[in-house]
Amino acid sequence: MSCHSFTPLISRRGMLQTSACGFAHMAFSSLLAQNGTPGKPMGDGFKKRPHIRPRAKRVIFLFMWGGPSHVDLFDPKPMLNDRAGSQLHGKDLGLDRGNMGELLGSPFPFKQYGQSGIWMSNLMPHLARQADKLCMIRSLHTEGQAHGEALLNLHTGQANLVRPSVGAWVSYGLGDARADLPAFITISPPRGHGGVQNYGSAFLPAIHQGMAIGSAETPISKAIIPNLTNTRQSTQSQRSQLDFVQSMNRKHLEQAARDPGIEGLIESYEQAFRMQTTTPPIMDLDNESKSTHALYGIGSEPTDNFGRQCLLARKFTEQGVRYIQISTNYTWDHHQKVEQGSIEESAKVDLPIAGLLQDLEQRGMLDETLVLWGGEFGRTPTAENKNGRNHHPQGFTMWMAGGGVKAGLTYGATDDFGYRPVEHPIHMHDLHATLLYALGLDHERLTYRHAGRDFRLTDIHGNIAHELFA
Amino acid sequence: MDNHQTWNSWKRQSWQRIYVLVTSVGVWLIFLGMCLGAVPESVSDDGQRLRQTTLDLVESGRDHWAFQPLIWDLPTSSADSLSSTIDSFIEARLQAEGLESAPAADTSDLVRRLHVQLTGLPPSTEVRQAFVDHPSESALEGLVDRLLSSPQFGERWGRHWLDLARYADSNGLDENFLFREAWRYRNWVVRAMNDDMPFDRFLLEQIAGDLLSYDSIEQRDQQRIASGFLVIGPKVLLGVNPNKQRMDVADEQIDTIGRSVLGLTLGCARCHDHKFEPVPTEDYYALAGIFTSTRVMQQRHMLGQQRVMEQLVGLGEKGDELNAAYEKYWRERPKVVESKKQAESALELLEKQDEAELDNLAEKDPGALSVQSKDRSLTYEARIRFQKEWIESFANILNHPPEIPPRAMVPTDVDEPRDEAVRRAGQFDKPENQVPRGFLRVVGKEETHIPDDESGRLELARWLTDVENGAGRLTARVFANRVWHHLIGRGLVRTVDNFGRTGEQPSHPELLDYLASRLIESGWSVKSIVREIVLSRTFALSSQHDPKAHATDPDNTMLWRAHRRRLDPESLRDAMLSVAGRLDLTPMQSSVWYLGDQATAVGDNKNRRRTDFPNRSLYLPAIRNDLPEIFDVFDFADPHATTGARPQTTVAIQALYLLNDDMVMDLSKATAQRFLMEEASTRLSQLYETMFQRTAVEAELKPFQDFIMQTQKQLERDGAKNPELEAWSALCHAMFSMSRFHFLD
Repeated sequence: MSCHSFTPLISRRGMLQTSACGFAHMAFSSLLAQNGTPGKPMGDGFKKRPHIRPRAKRVIFLFMWGGPSHVDLFDPKPMLNDRAGSQLHGKDLGLDRGNMGELLGSPFPFKQYGQSGIWMSNLMPHLARQADKLCMIRSLHTEGQAHGEALLNLHTGQANLVRPSVGAWVSYGLGDARADLPAFITISPPRGHGGVQNYGSAFLPAIHQGMAIGSAETPISKAIIPNLTNTRQSTQSQRSQLDFVQSMNRKHLEQAARDPGIEGLIESYEQAFRMQTTTPPIMDLDNESKSTHALYGIGSEPTDNFGRQCLLARKFTEQGVRYIQISTNYTWDHHQKVEQGSIEESAKVDLPIAGLLQDLEQRGMLDETLVLWGGEFGRTPTAENKNGRNHHPQGFTMWMAGGGVKAGLTYGATDDFGYRPVEHPIHMHDLHATLLYALGLDHERLTYRHAGRDFRLTDIHGNIAHELFA
Repeated sequence: MDNHQTWNSWKRQSWQRIYVLVTSVGVWLIFLGMCLGAVPESVSDDGQRLRQTTLDLVESGRDHWAFQPLIWDLPTSSADSLSSTIDSFIEARLQAEGLESAPAADTSDLVRRLHVQLTGLPPSTEVRQAFVDHPSESALEGLVDRLLSSPQFGERWGRHWLDLARYADSNGLDENFLFREAWRYRNWVVRAMNDDMPFDRFLLEQIAGDLLSYDSIEQRDQQRIASGFLVIGPKVLLGVNPNKQRMDVADEQIDTIGRSVLGLTLGCARCHDHKFEPVPTEDYYALAGIFTSTRVMQQRHMLGQQRVMEQLVGLGEKGDELNAAYEKYWRERPKVVESKKQAESALELLEKQDEAELDNLAEKDPGALSVQSKDRSLTYEARIRFQKEWIESFANILNHPPEIPPRAMVPTDVDEPRDEAVRRAGQFDKPENQVPRGFLRVVGKEETHIPDDESGRLELARWLTDVENGAGRLTARVFANRVWHHLIGRGLVRTVDNFGRTGEQPSHPELLDYLASRLIESGWSVKSIVREIVLSRTFALSSQHDPKAHATDPDNTMLWRAHRRRLDPESLRDAMLSVAGRLDLTPMQSSVWYLGDQATAVGDNKNRRRTDFPNRSLYLPAIRNDLPEIFDVFDFADPHATTGARPQTTVAIQALYLLNDDMVMDLSKATAQRFLMEEASTRLSQLYETMFQRTAVEAELKPFQDFIMQTQKQLERDGAKNPELEAWSALCHAMFSMSRFHFLD
């Protein structure tokens, strides 16, 4: 390895939170090594040629942890309101089942927004003003009646085996747009329901692991990347200490005559020291203008936290990061009081998301950034605890924006009760295939050899929803 | 000479290309065969033809090298008297390739290497010096034997097995519930390694320990604890169809045993005949029947509810009773809560003297009032007093839950063991033909008979190590290769968990067969095979680079030198603790007792696994999806799945950890404090020797001396409180970061 080849910073496996305060572990790594061959440059860290024409350069996934109620947000069901209070019967759905519970109407008025006339309730008024940027997909379905299984299916395509996450596959498929940041960053990821597995690299090389910043339970303003600064030493004294360390390491290397392991170690120290100076400015939101803060709802409640997450996503987007996920706290799980819960949770994210879409557009980045919104599942049309809704993986809504999708399109449909997709069903595997397609990756060709066979994100499934793209 | 090297290297590459071509053609032919033969017929009703195709697959698969008898001849090389049998195999290959061995390792390096490989700990200066002063064959043997019989051997080698056993203190996956009792299995493994339990017995107890006879309760419990191996895997716990869960759990067990014991990936055969290995789907479901006839899940109390969780069994004389009483308490507790509520309503009515409502209540729930409170001949005052006592009696039950009794994760056979049906495309709800419980037909000779009323785990465990009629040869090869991998740095078969067609071929096939034979001959003694390898000259080679040898064999496949090894996270942390004088060698039992049922800190649950124990790193909590930082950063095995070879990365996050982590800096300071108490004139050389386990010559210490002086001066100028301590702390921190500390030369 040339002494002057500056190695990029990439994420790696198993970066956990480090303290009781919930600081995220950072997950940078280098191209220095992988299994068994320390010091060898990685083959797949750098920019790679996509399989097909890419529609988008990157993805921002806005993850609503807990499962938002599609029938209260984006999928209007007049029949549900007409029949509210009566039993949903299997035969209403063509299912061989008896009574399935009492139907709970939606208290929220729906109407069409924008020139495209996309249906939305009044829960997200700011987003409604961006309706013509949205591509509403009302026919998602997945597996997992419980959060854990559904989260793992959403993030890795598999629940009972440890598999690489979507972001890790993207990192593996596309490499890094620039050398000193990981290709996959996850902001405030959940610690439960699979935790790090949801951004892990599993058997893919460790560099493809998502770099976690904070955790869902911690306010993002308090999240730091641990071990990125030294609490006891000045930079100057650390540098002179490191110079001493490196001179001894080089002496060791001289004696060994040649050793990729020691070479790699020396390089990793230099890289680590550089990272200590280059990363913090990206994390610092104070250098953004007041109007930008206002656009994202930073500085006011209840939008401050999610606004900061969205702005951070935009800043990483500008740095060329390929896959950025933002997660809410575990607050969308409305087994009770779904009305009040939906109002509160929508208010936290509505303005920041609308701000993000506008900001990306103003900066000319929306076209090349695919924004995806959704939870691990939807919620039942029937009532739970009188005024709540239960988990519902059988049918729900997600939306996309930017990244070459047809703006203003409403795609797919559920039955009269929002129970099951009846038109253009999109399974989680189909969503994954479609996301990869948008990035120019063929989900059938993006494979990795492990334990004697080729693995892919979609296993043996996945159909691309070509109709979503302009 | 250069031309000659190029020619050699070209020749080697050509052979590799031809080999790759041949094997890949072979694999494709098999694949094609599958497509033409088995796939269309697997849904046909022509059972006879299907059976024949399957048998052909199995028969042709027997040719694979890993299933062959163990064959080796002692090479007739010019090996000298110092060479062991192992060395003669290695040296014969080196001679054939025109390579020369590196010289023997420096004695200090050898002592350090031995200590770390056998115990995971650095040697003390005294031990090292004694050997360096009087190195001899007998001194070496004495040292090795002391290390093999030290309790730290089991901690080091037990951990190697725990990587394969996907040992963890929590479930991981969707719901990360705590495995409060897992530590008993961990400590069982350590003890078994220390006792040099024969490897065949070691497997038997882990696969069927609950079914074995016993002479004492202690023995029964140890065998039960061992079988926790089957229970400790990760499982999707919530919202999953019980039939699917059953098949998934069996799949996880098959995958773990397949890879860890047989070096075969069997999971593929769940959905279709294995495309690359001679493992038909029928064989998979023959195995699956054994595991679905085994119960590892039960309904019990967990996190305030009755849930389907890993099965626990009471330990000790009264274990079953205590466990039953404990579970009964939690099952019935909701009723007590309800009774208390009713009794409280009754109290209100008594206070209101509302006899009509009291009658109503008593009719609905006779237990709402105590006998005395019902007694109208008493005053209300008395009746109220009795009722309060009645309520108190419920409160008392609620406030005093029984202690968790000693329990272990233990499987049992189900009441009615039965064969499993092949599932179409692996779907649990698409059963096809039943297959009798059994093993892999490609390995071993005889059809096995499993009694109708047993799962077949006993027979499976015996088959795995049956050299004559079972998979014993393969098992021995796989395990001998693992021992080689850990001691030498790479396996003879580098794909240590894959001995199938898609795995690599052994670099020294006869040596592998020799080691496997030795393992079997020794009565499956792990310590014997470890001993033989570490006493070889090959183990004791220097890791010195040699340009000529490197040009021919850059990956050191032929072992012309020792691989330079980096410390794993456990050895790294233990070494820092040890240098700082903080390491406590006392074995730990549970290191997760303070955690709630939810092992990962989520939501309101702020309790997180701790890493501040001064005990060996083996005992730190292995919470799935929340490993200690140092484990994560330095490539610990992901405890969700069998790991035979940990990843080895060199990445910036490791450097950041060493530069800035609080624990590293705390231990640096502790080390400084320790050495500042030593005589000033020899302090630095002592520190150097303890840190790097080598004696420094004067010139080597000079830069360290300079660093101390400059740093201390700077700290004095900056007005530091204790410049001497801080300067020495900075020095220790620097030394913890140096390559000499991290690598075994």
